[in-house]
Amino acid sequence: MNAAGQERRASESELNISSGNVGNDHGRNWGWVLSGIICVNILILGCVLVVGSAYADIHITTPDLQVFLIIIILLTSIWMVYYSVFTAREENAVNYKDAHAGHPLASFFHLFFRTSAILVYLLCDILSSRFVVCMVIIILLLSCDFWTVKNVSGRLLVGLRWWNQVDVDGKSHWVFESKKVNSKNTTPSAESRVFWLGLIVCPIFWILFVLSTIFSFNIKWLVVVVMGLVLQWANLYGYIRCKLGGKSNLRNIAKNYLGVQIFKQDLI
Amino acid sequence: MAAAEEASRPFAGLSDVSISEDIPVEGDISVPVGPSRRDDEFSTLDEPVKDTIMRDLRAVGNKFIHVLYPKRSSALLRDWDLWGPLLLCVTLALLLQGGAADSEDQGGPQFAEVFVIVWFGSIIITLNSKLLGGTISFFQSLCVLGYCIMPLTVAMVVCRIVLLGGSGAVSFAVRLTVVMASFGWSTFASTAFLADSQPPNRKALVVYPVFLFYFVIAWMILTFSP
Repeated sequence: MNAAGQERRASESELNISSGNVGNDHGRNWGWVLSGIICVNILILGCVLVVGSAYADIHITTPDLQVFLIIIILLTSIWMVYYSVFTAREENAVNYKDAHAGHPLASFFHLFFRTSAILVYLLCDILSSRFVVCMVIIILLLSCDFWTVKNVSGRLLVGLRWWNQVDVDGKSHWVFESKKVNSKNTTPSAESRVFWLGLIVCPIFWILFVLSTIFSFNIKWLVVVVMGLVLQWANLYGYIRCKLGGKSNLRNIAKNYLGVQIFKQDLI
Repeated sequence: MAAAEEASRPFAGLSDVSISEDIPVEGDISVPVGPSRRDDEFSTLDEPVKDTIMRDLRAVGNKFIHVLYPKRSSALLRDWDLWGPLLLCVTLALLLQGGAADSEDQGGPQFAEVFVIVWFGSIIITLNSKLLGGTISFFQSLCVLGYCIMPLTVAMVVCRIVLLGGSGAVSFAVRLTVVMASFGWSTFASTAFLADSQPPNRKALVVYPVFLFYFVIAWMILTFSP
């Protein structure tokens, strides 16, 4: 009788957990739908603003664009912070139990240079009356960000690294390496989420800036925005190549993934 | 008969050979791990950040010293970096910039002009030397050309100081000698690195664009007036 009672309680707790999981899944799906709707709306509004600023009889001025982009930055940072805080409450989110472990400084600097370059670009009219000062500050911030992300935050936060190597006979080739970690924990840590979010979101801003510079014929900023675009996308491309590892062919990766899925299905 | 018998029992003498059980028979099959260079590289994956910064700073300083005393060193050429060219370009653009009046409009295009001239010029020279069959890589060549702008930047600083005292004929003569000396030094330093990567009958074809590039920059410095 006791054994039966224990079994019933165990199955009830299992049912509770599974229904809780289903509830979480529902909530997560609605969250995805909401995020998707908001993203599409922001994208459409951005396109409208950029195209509208190209026509002289539509009164869209630079402060309008600035306000729009500042709102996007605020929403994105709120989302990033909330996501990191929310993720940190899950069980296997954070690999380190010690509050002093991990790399908080590396994460901070990874995001600091990128976001301050974007902010200075948007707020240059307010910060300084001289155009050249802003330009030099943005160029220095962009180069510091490139060096930091390539040499420091990549290897400390996610264990990936890429560089160019010149052999003795003068041939140069690019090397992409990733740290081999034998951990059973496959959920990404909060730090790696911060890294990838920062790496992916910021280059999109620079594409918007290049487009707005070209369409509003503001050629004096072209050097800076093109430099920002090139540096940020170079890092993104380098780290994606590192992540994909030695498999340079996407088709192979897809094949492997499908193969693993089918294998798992057979096992179950 | 005896031979046939012996042939049919080739290992007869070994039939009573045995190994006692208390001698362990074991061994190791080890596969060679791969180039030991991999260990060196993975050890820098976890190095503290200060080491990375100091190593890169030391590399940049080393290259500046090599421009001061140009002599060929292939190890220097192998680890290239573009920090020096960036800093020199920004410094040169800032110094060349106060020419017009203090209005903000005029500052931008001149700054961007210098940037575009330096970087596009370097890229074109690199493409030229690669098309001529040079063995140097793209970024290495950019690195060399950028670092060799240093004497011209020093000349710019000297010119600005001289111009503080006035802009007469004497100052022009001083500026002319300084700029020509630094232009010669830049061209000599960069050809010391670049020309060796070319076959000997093509050296002049590679040196001429470099000469032209530094000449344009020297011209911008000489004709600068505050």
